[in-house]
Amino acid sequence: MSKTLLELSGVSVSFDGFKAINNLSFQIGEPELRAIIGPNGAGKTTFMDIITGKTKPDDGHILWGDKGISLLGLSESAIAREGIGRKFQKPTVFEAQTVRENLAMALKNPRGPFDVLFYKKTSDGAARIEAIAEQTGLTDSLTRPAGELSHGQKQWLEIGMLLAQEPRLLLVDEPAAGMTPAEREKTTQMLVEAAKTRAVVVVEHDMEFVRRLNCKVTVLNEGSVLAEGSIDHVTSDPQVIEVYLGR
Amino acid sequence: MNRSFFAKNPSILWFIALLGLFTLGVTLLSEATGTGLISTSFVKTLGKTLCLCLVAIAMDVVWGYCGILSLGHFAFFGIGGYAIGMWLMYARTEVIVSASMANQVIPPSATEVSDAIASQIFGVVGASELPTIWSFAHSLPLQLLMVVLIPGLLALVFGWLAFRSRVTGVYLSILTQAMTLALSLYLFQNDSGLRGNNGLSGLQNIPGFESTPQSLVSMAFFWASALALAIGYILFAFVISGKMGSVIRAIRDNETRVRFLGYHVESYKLFVFTLTAIVAGIAGALYYPQAGIINPAEIAPIASIYLAVWVAIGGRGRLYGAVLGTVAVTLASSWFTGGGAPDINLGFYTIKWTDWWLVLLGLSFVAVTLFAPQGIGGLVDKLVRKKA
Repeated sequence: MSKTLLELSGVSVSFDGFKAINNLSFQIGEPELRAIIGPNGAGKTTFMDIITGKTKPDDGHILWGDKGISLLGLSESAIAREGIGRKFQKPTVFEAQTVRENLAMALKNPRGPFDVLFYKKTSDGAARIEAIAEQTGLTDSLTRPAGELSHGQKQWLEIGMLLAQEPRLLLVDEPAAGMTPAEREKTTQMLVEAAKTRAVVVVEHDMEFVRRLNCKVTVLNEGSVLAEGSIDHVTSDPQVIEVYLGR
Repeated sequence: MNRSFFAKNPSILWFIALLGLFTLGVTLLSEATGTGLISTSFVKTLGKTLCLCLVAIAMDVVWGYCGILSLGHFAFFGIGGYAIGMWLMYARTEVIVSASMANQVIPPSATEVSDAIASQIFGVVGASELPTIWSFAHSLPLQLLMVVLIPGLLALVFGWLAFRSRVTGVYLSILTQAMTLALSLYLFQNDSGLRGNNGLSGLQNIPGFESTPQSLVSMAFFWASALALAIGYILFAFVISGKMGSVIRAIRDNETRVRFLGYHVESYKLFVFTLTAIVAGIAGALYYPQAGIINPAEIAPIASIYLAVWVAIGGRGRLYGAVLGTVAVTLASSWFTGGGAPDINLGFYTIKWTDWWLVLLGLSFVAVTLFAPQGIGGLVDKLVRKKA
């Protein structure tokens, strides 16, 4: 079993009295691939917001890394620099800029304004960009504005940007939404490949996609963990069937 | 900045070359150094326009590239003007006062001189003491330092407070406008220490150059303004190129996403806001000696709105667009309001341009927004692309 990378314990958050996350505990090791499923409103997106610092929890602890530092006091950008990358549900790439510029921005490098102002392009960085473009099938599109890409390509570019950040933990929100079967297949491969060296959490609605990821599954419902285990294990759980699959 | 920087941005060289040719042309046609075809007052107008271009490219960087619609950059411009104006006024008054006291039997003491200067400058607002903020006014180097330091510090503190609280969009614009209005209202007060609504005047007389004709002085300022614009243009072109430009434009388009990439967005905004404020201060310090007078009305919020209009008409997100917009609008403005444009007699009504200029400006702003959202610069880009 791999060592623990991220641990949430007893995390709760409520919006106007509605408990979006209720005493949630969650652990993930490194490397590991994990899928999170759950019905609408189960708190999947809030869960990611909490880890990435967008939402501050009312209660609970979030410990990160080998030293077990708390993520609660850190800003979004500091958490990202700690090595947590996030892919949004809707592909968000910088459409006015080229694919190469998008990747270059994401590339792991010092992030201060003056580091960036006097940044010199390196052959090492260029090679990294080429490699990621290769991995995500965007080699021919490097000089195109990201806005010209197809929906699937934008999703891949965003995954590529995440890889360029070299995060230790990757949070991916519904990567297969709106993709063709062939695109899904390729996305699955990318995620499985990425999870060989790091922790990857995939939030997904699509059961078929989750099955193909072939990994441990966590089921969320009403802001807490309902079941956890292999896909066959959770899909045969009567509670899970009742709240999610049965409908 | 190396050779590849210019090689990648050939438009910078084009701009510098055109600016150089223009400067040379004006020099050859001026009264002081050339044929005299261009009057000294027009040289001043051109020099002032170059300063406005400088503050406009600063505005373009902060608004067009970084997406911060600041309605306060003309305040920084004004502060730069006041900072240099204080030295100009103090030093010139010192010369006059010393001359008038020179014939006294007992040589005047330093306190007597400084008291005389104070009552000379502040008599108009009923005060006779030099306010604390004039402590450095006797020294040109210190006051030049103030030209960059005060706008820079104000922008740094204001920006830090605003960006840290994640104030964005129209709310930030309103906040910057409030700052501008507060500053202008404060300066209107007689006890503000800057002569209230009288402002600072006689700034065209440069201490130490009393015997130099204005035609030559205006030429020197014209050259200094052109040089400052060239340096500012290269500086900003450097900032908005490469990875920095990439991050800045990304912040404009989706700052949340940039945050999740690990960039501390607030630091970047603060950097851009402060740098452009400093450049605006320098532009102001070059402008007001050519204008001769600065008063609080110059800082009124409308001035900062004009600045945004120039940049919008010229085309946001391209530096030369800001220059084109500024030149077009300010020269048109002085032509229409200066009596250059002939009145139009419609029989039942005569259109006087002095009254109707603002309407025309407003209409052209609407027309640009509707039909050429990329501004004049966007039209130029289209032409260039067609030829290529």
